[in-house]
Amino acid sequence: MSSDPFDSALDLLRRLPPAKTAHNVQLLCDLAPALSEELLESVDVPLTVKKCSKSNREFLCCDYNRDGDSWRSPWSNAFEPPLEDGVCPSERVRRMEVRANEGFDVYRELYFEGGISSVYFWDIDDGFAGCVLLKKSVSPTSKTSGSWDSIHVFESQDRARMSHYKLTSTVILNLGNETGVLGSMDLSGNMVRQVEQDMAVEDDNSHVMNIGRMVEDMELKMRNLLQEVYFGKAKDVVGDLRSIQALSEANREKQAHREVISSMSK
Amino acid sequence: MVSVFKREALSSFIQSAPPGELSNVTTAIKTLTGDKTITTSLEPALRKYNEEQFTTVKLPGGSQPVLMSEYNRLEDGRYYDIESQSSWAFDHESQKASAVQSYVPESKHNDLITSLYKSLSTHASEHYPSNTIGIYPTSDDSTLAILTVSNKYSPSNFWNGRWRSSYTFSPSSSTLTGRISVDVHYYEDGNVRLLTSKALDLKISSGADAGHVVKAIAVAEKKYQQELNRGFAGLSEGAFKGLRRQLPVTRQKMEWEKVGGYRVGQDIGGGRFKS
Repeated sequence: MSSDPFDSALDLLRRLPPAKTAHNVQLLCDLAPALSEELLESVDVPLTVKKCSKSNREFLCCDYNRDGDSWRSPWSNAFEPPLEDGVCPSERVRRMEVRANEGFDVYRELYFEGGISSVYFWDIDDGFAGCVLLKKSVSPTSKTSGSWDSIHVFESQDRARMSHYKLTSTVILNLGNETGVLGSMDLSGNMVRQVEQDMAVEDDNSHVMNIGRMVEDMELKMRNLLQEVYFGKAKDVVGDLRSIQALSEANREKQAHREVISSMSK
Repeated sequence: MVSVFKREALSSFIQSAPPGELSNVTTAIKTLTGDKTITTSLEPALRKYNEEQFTTVKLPGGSQPVLMSEYNRLEDGRYYDIESQSSWAFDHESQKASAVQSYVPESKHNDLITSLYKSLSTHASEHYPSNTIGIYPTSDDSTLAILTVSNKYSPSNFWNGRWRSSYTFSPSSSTLTGRISVDVHYYEDGNVRLLTSKALDLKISSGADAGHVVKAIAVAEKKYQQELNRGFAGLSEGAFKGLRRQLPVTRQKMEWEKVGGYRVGQDIGGGRFKS
C-alpha cells in the first residue's frame, strides 16, 4: 500500500462507485486541496457539453481545451464564454486539428450514429499532443438509459519519416435499468488502456490518418473488452454468488460428465 | 477534531466500499488524511457498513461464519448468533471478533426460529456456494428477520461480489417483505460496478410453516436472478448497442486516407461508394 496521499486518492476512486466519480473527485479536492489540480488533470469524468456561438454547434469540454473559466470550440477556435488571448495551438497544429475534427465527425457518425465529437491539439517539444473526445447518451426505453464517454489522449514525437505515438484511452460507460419486476440495476464504470506505436509520416495529413486509425483500433478493442466485462464477467460473478440450478444437481451432472469422459478415454 | 464536512465525506466513502474492500478503503483514507487515528471518529460509519453489508466473521474456535446486522446487535454493542448460542465483541475497523461468550436468546418464536433455520440453511446451501444465514427476533419479538449473505472475493483477479437477501416475517399477520441487493466490483485497469436493489412483498397463506416461508423466499430469489439475467441481456442488446456500433453499417473500418479531400459525411464511410 502506498504512503502517498495522491496515490491513495486514486486508489479510492478505483474502488468507490464509478457512477459517482465526479462527485467523489469534488469531495477529495475539498478534503485535500493540495491534490486538487493533479486530481482534476488525471481523473476522467463524463464530458460536459457547450455550444459554440460562432458555429452554433455543440462541443465537448475537458481540461485540455480550458483556459480559466472558458473553453475553446474546435469548430471556430474561439472561446466560450469569449476570452481575449486564450491559449490556442500554433497555425500548423491548428490546421491538423481542423482536419482531425472533420475526420472524427465522420467517425462519430459511422460508429455512434449521433452524439458529439471534439478533437483538441496542442504544441509540445519535438511534436504535438492532443485529445479525441466522443460522447453519446441514449434512453431506448423510459426505463433504461446509457451513456458513453471516450477520452483518448495522445502524444506524437517526430522522428525521421516516422512518428512515435503514445495513446491513453479511457471509456466511461454508464448503464441503468429500472422496472417493477427487476427493481433497480446500475451497471457503470470506466476502463483505461494504453498503447505505443511507431508509424510512417509523409506529411501532416499522415498524422491525422495515423491517429484516426489508432483511436479506431483502440475503441474496437475497448468496446469488446467492455462487453466482456459488463455482460460476461459481471454476470458470471452473480452466478458465482448464487446458482439458479441446485448445487447438488449441478454436482451430480459434473460427476456424470466426468464419468463419461473417463470411460471414453479408456 | 474532525470537521463535520470531513466526517461526512469520509463516511460516504466507507458506506460505498465494495465487497471485501473495506480495509483498502480505510487504509487509503488514513494515508489521504495523514491521520492514522481518523477511523476512531468514523466508527459509526464503519458499524453501519458492517451491519448493512451483513459482514461475516469466523468466531475464534468456531467452524461456521456468523454475520453482523442491526437485528443481532445487543445493547452493549456485542452481537449474537442463535445457532451457535454465542455472543462476541466485534472490531468494526479490523472486522475481527473476540471475547466470545455463550448466549441464549429468549424469544416466544424459538421453535419457529429453529425450523426456519433448518429450512433456510438447506435452501442456502443448495443455491449459495458460500453463504451465511441469520434469523433473529426483532426488538419487540413480534417479527423475525431472515438474512442471507453470499460473498465471493477474488482480489488477485480484481473482482469481488456480494449477494444479500433480507426479509421480515410476521408470524401473526403472515406477511413477508424483503429486499435483495447485489454488488459486484471489477477493477482491473478500470473500475466497473454492478449495484442492484429489488424490494419484495411476498404472498404467504396464514398459518404458513417454516417450510412455506422458505419456499416463498426460494421462488422469489430464483425469479429475481432470472430477471437480473434478462436485465443484463436487455442492457447489452438495448442501451449498449445503441451507444456505439462495433463496425459501421458497411462492416468496414473507416477510410482515413480520404479525410480532407471529401466533404464531411459524404463518402469516407468505409467504401460505401466503392465500385
